Amino acid sequence: MSHQQIENVTCLGCGCGCDDVTVTVSGGRIVAAEPVCPIGQAWLGNGQVPSAIISEGRPATLEQALSRAASELARANGPSLVYLGADLTTQAQRAALAIADLLRATVDTSTSGTAANGLITAQRRGRTGATLGELRNRGDAFLFWGVDPANRYPRFVSRYGIEPVGTHVPQGRPGRDVISVSVGSDKALAGADLALELTPEQEIPALSLMRAAILGHRVPGQSPEASMAAEVSARLAQARYVVVVHDAEPTDEPRNPLRAEALIALAQALNTSTRCSLCSLRAGRNQVGAEAVLTWQTGYPLGVEYSRGFPTYRPGYRGISRLVGGTYAAALIAGSPLLESDAEAALAALSTVVIGPRASEAPFASSIAIDTGVAGIHEGGIAYRMDEVPLMLRPPLPGPRSATEVLMALHGALQQELRRASR
Amino acid sequence: MSRGERFRIAGGRVYDPANQVEGEVRDVCIEDGRIVASVPDGSPTLDARGMIVMPGGVDIHSHFASSSCNHARRLVPEEHGADPAPAPNLAHDASSRSGTGGTVPSTFTTGYRYAGLGYTTVFDAAVAPLLARHSHAELEDTPCVDGGIFILMGNDEYLLRLIAAGERERARDYAGWLLGATGGYAIKIVNPGGIEAWKSGQRNVNGLDDPLATNRVTPRAILETLADAGNQLGLPHPVHIHCNNLGVPGNAEVTLASMRTLEGRRVHFTHLQFHSYGGPGWKSAAAPIMEYVNTHPEISVDVGQVMFGPAATITADGPVEYLLHKSSGRKWVNIDIELETGCGIVPFLYKDKAAVAALQWSIGLELFLLSQDPWRVVLSTDHPNGGSFLSYPALIQLLMDRSVRDERLKQVNPKLLAGSALADGIGREYTLNEIAIVTRAGPARLLGLTHKGHLGPGADADVTVYNHDSDVARMFSSPRYVVKNGSLVVEEGHLRRAPLGRRLRLQPPYDEAILPHLRRFFDAYSTVSFENFPVSGIPADPQPLSS
Ligand SMILES: [Zn+2]
Repeated sequence: MSHQQIENVTCLGCGCGCDDVTVTVSGGRIVAAEPVCPIGQAWLGNGQVPSAIISEGRPATLEQALSRAASELARANGPSLVYLGADLTTQAQRAALAIADLLRATVDTSTSGTAANGLITAQRRGRTGATLGELRNRGDAFLFWGVDPANRYPRFVSRYGIEPVGTHVPQGRPGRDVISVSVGSDKALAGADLALELTPEQEIPALSLMRAAILGHRVPGQSPEASMAAEVSARLAQARYVVVVHDAEPTDEPRNPLRAEALIALAQALNTSTRCSLCSLRAGRNQVGAEAVLTWQTGYPLGVEYSRGFPTYRPGYRGISRLVGGTYAAALIAGSPLLESDAEAALAALSTVVIGPRASEAPFASSIAIDTGVAGIHEGGIAYRMDEVPLMLRPPLPGPRSATEVLMALHGALQQELRRASR
Repeated sequence: MSRGERFRIAGGRVYDPANQVEGEVRDVCIEDGRIVASVPDGSPTLDARGMIVMPGGVDIHSHFASSSCNHARRLVPEEHGADPAPAPNLAHDASSRSGTGGTVPSTFTTGYRYAGLGYTTVFDAAVAPLLARHSHAELEDTPCVDGGIFILMGNDEYLLRLIAAGERERARDYAGWLLGATGGYAIKIVNPGGIEAWKSGQRNVNGLDDPLATNRVTPRAILETLADAGNQLGLPHPVHIHCNNLGVPGNAEVTLASMRTLEGRRVHFTHLQFHSYGGPGWKSAAAPIMEYVNTHPEISVDVGQVMFGPAATITADGPVEYLLHKSSGRKWVNIDIELETGCGIVPFLYKDKAAVAALQWSIGLELFLLSQDPWRVVLSTDHPNGGSFLSYPALIQLLMDRSVRDERLKQVNPKLLAGSALADGIGREYTLNEIAIVTRAGPARLLGLTHKGHLGPGADADVTVYNHDSDVARMFSSPRYVVKNGSLVVEEGHLRRAPLGRRLRLQPPYDEAILPHLRRFFDAYSTVSFENFPVSGIPADPQPLSS
């Protein structure tokens, strides 16, 4: 069987968005991908996805399914939910958002249950950040705060972090002072030049003391946090360009909600005397793209509700968690949602339309399911890296059907349906 | 009346300065999205008797479709909440979108609101090459206006290396490649060298001969290299320059030095108001700056007027935003963008009782009023840096109506205005014809858009019709009709159609011999592969270059 190699494929396995992957395809399957980490390997898999269209439990044509979906969504007797999944291109998310606007729906994304706290904090305080290449090209001091990227962002250290040579760090790893601070069970990078450990109770005081020291205040007392803060801040202050790395996604260790704010404040303070960027590690797929398109279309990165005929912001609100309370009469799930099992059960009680990869195999009941390709594997377009850099997608395989096109067609069908209803 | 149809805008007073038409009563005929000499009798007619007809507005410098804008949108949810924008009711129940406003509105709302002011072409003035793909995605969601983007090059690592090596011709070819790869329309310089200095720990550069610590390149060399590159590539718009030391007292010195070092070259200096401060302390240097501009026809500028009220400062000029954050205490975003540039954002409020804001407001007006050539001194607020584009009508009124201007002047903090030409009393009032120049004909000409900014046969059918009104601000804030590309976008003052705008981009030629070395640089330092860097699928043919 003939092999075909597709170069410069972008992997959306984690938020690193490595775009240097060569994928080998044979017989319509992915048979090899190089270089990829285990997460990337799992993400790409063999590229096989189902290609069904199911309406009310039976196979249907796309046209039948779309007209049924449009009438169910248009006639829903109550508010609807539109979920923008992360395994879609930004173009597909954009099409789903147009439907949400039309339906005056509540919009939810995977962000609301994961990285929301950091985004909301940055809306209050701003933030100092950088694209990932800037970390590599300039960072001469790295502080890993409660994270070892090896686990969830395997190629971070070799592509963006500490190992490679940078334009302004020609020595690579030896040119960088690497400090790791573990917080409880959130273990930080192994092999640092200085490794410290804090209990969760010590964390926020230590960050406050570091910030005080950086801003030139005398840090009082002899507590372990104080001596730790003095040592770390002294080393950071000597650097030209400090990079503070933390995980913006949840971990098993219950996290102090003040961590995001304390890190933002520390990074901003470091810019008084030197330069500093805070790197917030984000999980993969295209959840950052969903935040981007939500922001440009509504002004808000998450927690958007259209019920009043325009976007309103409900940042603390997890639309999808309200499924259980019977809030909605209908739902459009575009892409694959992050759902708890009680929410899955609740979906069975509504008119649920699922459009996206493996829709027909979703672990919850739906009225209509339309399988599509996966962003970056079967569908071209744009997805966003964790640092909000938009990446080109070169799909190595043809897909069942394009999520963007299906969602745009649904939008058209819905418009007709609503026009008919208003007449 | 939609695209493809022909119709006549009949009996209006037409201001078409590019064709020397100044307030004559005549018809404007439209067919197939273009202006034509005539349409058959009996074609549909828009009755414009007693109204003012101008080409659609052209914004030469705005920040409305970029990754930086999206950071700014995200930073001010409180503004969006206060300014909801329901979806407009379009003709034939056509699809339209809701959004939010504030100083940085959502994309659809931006397009609708620009059209609602009679603007039909807008350029985003600061796009990092790496993030150009994002700008094009936003432009797809910004209806009603044709759009283009200026590409940030004045702190680009690869370009700085070429300059350091004395490779100015390769720098030109690189600039040509970069414009084509990003779908850009012009070369933009922001604080030449200063952003690299900010990122490297040098903090900033202050004079044209302050070398960068990392590679000894000077702002002067960056300005000269890119100005020559733009002109040699035949770009329709010359290099677009945001000078060093923006917002700093005494910066007129470096502004004039920048103008002098580029003397004889076609160049554009942007938001000049922010670069026209005398020193020491705060005072106006509008007079010496305008004297230079008036006597050097190769230079063009936009003003960057400050209007009192809320603003969002959004710039690639990272060190400026750090200082603004420190002095204002307001929230601050800084994003360093690998190998290319930076991005800084601070929400801001210009208060008329604040001495510096009053001085900035006054300097902008002085620049306008001391200008002897409206074709080369055009209107901008550097939206949303000096104020929203929604404040253009109020600005036009300040220019056209001395009594309104003098009244306003009485209300502002006079502390720093001593010796300014405005405080001394400038009687000049802009005519409608001059307004037509500074808001459409002039910018279109400076941008090299031969098919825009005028109403001659063959021009794009972008036309704005205003009710004649002695209240100029009211007149310009609510056009009676707006035609975009032949489609009647605003009808009786209401947005009725929202066609997609067209993309204005270039594809300059370059010597492909630069590519192997460039690719090695990408492989060594970029986190995006060379093959994936260019933006593909932009829905428009490139615009022609000047010969
Ligand atoms: Zn600007």
